[in-house]
Amino acid sequence: MSMPDAAVPPPLPAVAPPAIPMVRFLGDDTVYWRLLIRGAVLLMFTLGIYRFWLATDIRRFLWSGTELGGDSFEYSGTARELLIGFLIALTIVIPLYSLFFFVALGGGPLGDTSGLLSFVLLTLLGHYAVYRARRYRLTRTIYRGVRFHQTGPAWRYAVCALFWFTLIVLSLGLAYPAAQSRLERFKMRHTFFGDLPGRFEGSASQLFLRGILLWVLLMVPLTVGLVASLGSIDWSELEKVADAGSEEFWTWLLGHGLAGAAAIGGVTILWTLLSIAVLFPIFQAMLWRWWASGLRFGDLAVTSRLRTGQVFGVYGRFLGYALLFTIAGTVVGIVGLLVVGFVVKGSDSLWSEIFATAAALGFYVAMMLGYSTIYQATVKLGLWRCIVETLDVSNPHVLERVSAAGEASSPVGEGLADALNVGGI
Amino acid sequence: MNAMTVAGTGTFFDGITTARREVTIELGATVMLIRAPDGAILAEWPYGGIEARSAPEGLLRLAKTGSPSLARLEIRDPRLATAIDDLSIPIDRSGHAERRDRTKVIAWSVAATVSLILVAVIGVPEIATRLAPLIPYSVERKFGTAIDAQIRRSIDTRHAGAAFECGNNQGNKPGRAAFDKLMGQLEAAAALPLPLNPAVVHRDEANAFALPGGRVYVFEGLIDKAETPDELAGVLAHEIGHVAHRDGNRNVLEGAGLSFLFGMLLGDFVGGGAVIFAAKTILQTSYSRDVETAADGYGVTLMHKIGGDARALGTILTRIAGTTHPGPKLLLDHPDTPSRVAFINSLAGSAPTKPLLDKAEWAALKRICQTS
Repeated sequence: MSMPDAAVPPPLPAVAPPAIPMVRFLGDDTVYWRLLIRGAVLLMFTLGIYRFWLATDIRRFLWSGTELGGDSFEYSGTARELLIGFLIALTIVIPLYSLFFFVALGGGPLGDTSGLLSFVLLTLLGHYAVYRARRYRLTRTIYRGVRFHQTGPAWRYAVCALFWFTLIVLSLGLAYPAAQSRLERFKMRHTFFGDLPGRFEGSASQLFLRGILLWVLLMVPLTVGLVASLGSIDWSELEKVADAGSEEFWTWLLGHGLAGAAAIGGVTILWTLLSIAVLFPIFQAMLWRWWASGLRFGDLAVTSRLRTGQVFGVYGRFLGYALLFTIAGTVVGIVGLLVVGFVVKGSDSLWSEIFATAAALGFYVAMMLGYSTIYQATVKLGLWRCIVETLDVSNPHVLERVSAAGEASSPVGEGLADALNVGGI
Repeated sequence: MNAMTVAGTGTFFDGITTARREVTIELGATVMLIRAPDGAILAEWPYGGIEARSAPEGLLRLAKTGSPSLARLEIRDPRLATAIDDLSIPIDRSGHAERRDRTKVIAWSVAATVSLILVAVIGVPEIATRLAPLIPYSVERKFGTAIDAQIRRSIDTRHAGAAFECGNNQGNKPGRAAFDKLMGQLEAAAALPLPLNPAVVHRDEANAFALPGGRVYVFEGLIDKAETPDELAGVLAHEIGHVAHRDGNRNVLEGAGLSFLFGMLLGDFVGGGAVIFAAKTILQTSYSRDVETAADGYGVTLMHKIGGDARALGTILTRIAGTTHPGPKLLLDHPDTPSRVAFINSLAGSAPTKPLLDKAEWAALKRICQTS
């Protein structure tokens, strides 16, 4: 019989296993709607300055509504951090833009290629920003008192991402599964929950095989249509007319010259848009399922039972609300037009022009913000909820024994992403 | 009267591992004691030093302010939560404190927006006006050459190249000589630090404009509309005014300033693009109206210097304006013609004039673009 070692801590109190699903979303829809509507109004009146507070509110809502094993996540970031990150990013981006401008001015071989160079540099900087923004968000995610963190040089990721995205464009999308797989592996290899290392085990070939049909369904009619459309143009006649001068060119153009091509082109574009509308939710559901099912933290494995029908349901709700909003907007628009017309009533002064312009602009902005709010509230929240609630976690006991590690990182990445207009939320 | 809550239960995470501990919380006079089931004190948190963190509805999640540790105390018992709320000033579950802070933020943001707009309306043209003369002429010329290439491509729609310019054929040479004599008088009187590079081109519009660096384009349509050498000279003098005032540079600086303000700082929201575009367009055309007035004033002075009739600019403007519709006032980049003519006439007075070109020279100039 062995004596109990005095240094061994007393056993942790056994927590009754929760009789609830492993992963849940608890957030209340009406709270989120109110948050978004208030945010949209304030965005309009502050011409966008309020976005840091709105983003923080949205993240707090989404994180704290997500519950794993009975405990909910916490977003510990603040709007001030995002604002400071943005201001720091400006000190990088403004000199950079000015440099590009002056180099382009200078002319010579550097000036002529400066367009391409600046595009490449800005794309690199954008990927760098996305990686660092991810690090910021991870380090501000806390679960059971331990934060996530991310290591790894952002520049290496940026170069990698640039390479793969170029490949995707050159291969018309076929390289997408390989690219996603490699980039996710990179990101998850450097992602940690406390001292628990992350991994990604999604297979590129699996995604390719699942997605190839969608690709074919989209690309084949598009290619056929484009070829038919271009083939129906009489190129020699086009050349002759272009040489003759701009007047004859336009008359020919608007006459019969491109009618055939325009008709085929129009039908092709319409069909492509319809295909995208139907295929995109299918693609999204497949992508989320594949991505979520590849996540690993130590021995903990995640699988997703997301159904395509759920994604269609989310988009369907969005379209419903958007339609209602459009009807309401049309009514308001007509009434507004009559009111403005009455007030302005034939007066030709500068002030009446300013008033009419401001009214039109305000209406347009309100409509756009309205659609954006509806999209956020139905699609973003809907997708978050159905993805979270269809997650299955195996070996969750791993989560009981994680030790804290990692430091909070700076928000410069977020600021850069905002200044360069990349990245979401 | 309800009994004061002095203790309750909650969940504690120590921020070192993810282990969950069910704890008892004792509300002391100044501190909150967090006890493990075996009685050991896990933490002592003073009421003034705790804050509420983001948590789902019905859960009060507390942390110690200013501590690097991520220790969290989670309370689901509503009476305990209320008691802590009462005892602790930083904890305010009614949301008043947060609303006050948020209102301050919003007020400052709106104030910042208003001041940024004021900067755009007043500050940007001021700064551009002050910076424009500081740009060295060598830089302006380089910039002008780059712009000239683009402008040339857009106005020479048939890509005629050298044939686009008037006055190169044998028959047009006297017209070219007359034009050069007229420009020469103006240039000599203007005494600009950089040479002008004028060109008459085959375009039907009655227009002329100057680019940074000294390039000036005069359209065939303008020469057709002009009835006296003074009218043509008046328009040229106005364009020379733009060159002298470095208006091309100012335009670029104003555009950059507005792009920065309305592109980067403000407007990052859905639909913001339209606001940005509208703001930039309206502001740029309003700056432009002031600049045009200044060029009109310069033109009058220059015409006086060469002994020409300064009122002639007003005459040709009226003739041209008679055939075009001004369009929305907001988008006018020139002040309206009657105002311009009144301004020009008020400055021109009635000084003695001399003929700038003789009849033969003027007749030749009118034929400068004839191709037969």
